[in-house]
Amino acid sequence: MKKRKYVIKELPVIVGLSVIAGVAINYFSPNGISYIGSWDTASGVITAKAKNDAVVREREIMDIRIIKQIFDIGKAVFVDARPYAEYEKGHIRGAISFPPTRFDEQIEAFISAYPPSTSIVTYCSGRECRDSHELAQMLIDSGFSETKVFVDGYPSWEKEGYPIE
Amino acid sequence: MNKKITVLVWNRKLQLFFRLVLGITFMYASIHKIIYPGKFAQIIYGYGLLPNELINIVAIFLPFLEFFSGLFLVIGIYTESAALIIDIMLAVFIAAISINLIRGYEFDCGCFSAELMGYEWSSVHLLFRDIIFLLMGGYLFITESRDYDG
Repeated sequence: MKKRKYVIKELPVIVGLSVIAGVAINYFSPNGISYIGSWDTASGVITAKAKNDAVVREREIMDIRIIKQIFDIGKAVFVDARPYAEYEKGHIRGAISFPPTRFDEQIEAFISAYPPSTSIVTYCSGRECRDSHELAQMLIDSGFSETKVFVDGYPSWEKEGYPIE
Repeated sequence: MNKKITVLVWNRKLQLFFRLVLGITFMYASIHKIIYPGKFAQIIYGYGLLPNELINIVAIFLPFLEFFSGLFLVIGIYTESAALIIDIMLAVFIAAISINLIRGYEFDCGCFSAELMGYEWSSVHLLFRDIIFLLMGGYLFITESRDYDG
């Protein structure tokens, strides 16, 4: 009985402390997130909406037919942000493997191969995958301002029967 | 009489051991989540159990609940309450992992960020670990006591 008494008094202290610390740290942290995220895939790639979020809606291309047109024109470079093992299993024809984790190793070669004005389309495995956005952000920071994100990524491309290799 | 004292001493040692193991584990586990709430939110999303509106709120507060409960266990204040909170959290984790095991749902977004966040542990391992932790917490909650006169 006694234990129940003091536990009931202490629980709100621990919970309250956590709430206060949570609000405060989240407010000041550069990685802080919004109280409500964007977790509905209908609106694009899912994101917790962090202050420094790489997911930027304006860069997203939702319509796969537009991506196909870009592909058919043949001027854009398709960049695959998935792990290399996934890329090896199959990728959009002509795409380059460029996982964000290997950005530092690969960016120099990329810069010498393509001018900053190059149209780039990044993709990964769909709307639950952020790597395409992470990579797009890194490329934009490196000067490739014409970078877009193909939100539905490889699975949808493959499903449509579009060219792969 | 001697036997009773031995049991008591062992009890104290075990309590201290469990407090440190649970406390340090929970504090350690909370740090990465506190620094990267967005990544933690994505993991919660991956479980596919919470409504979208609650994902971020849980991602913001849960790591601090883990941190403070762990801290209180380590320094030895509010021990029973901290152990109770930890056990409630563990019960929720166990339920979440079990539900996904039963429905055969394993979140795989094919991205590095999720792999780095602990998906190399299989669900069964996690479940087993959490049950052990739950028992430790239960032991602490039941056996810890304060010698009040009144």
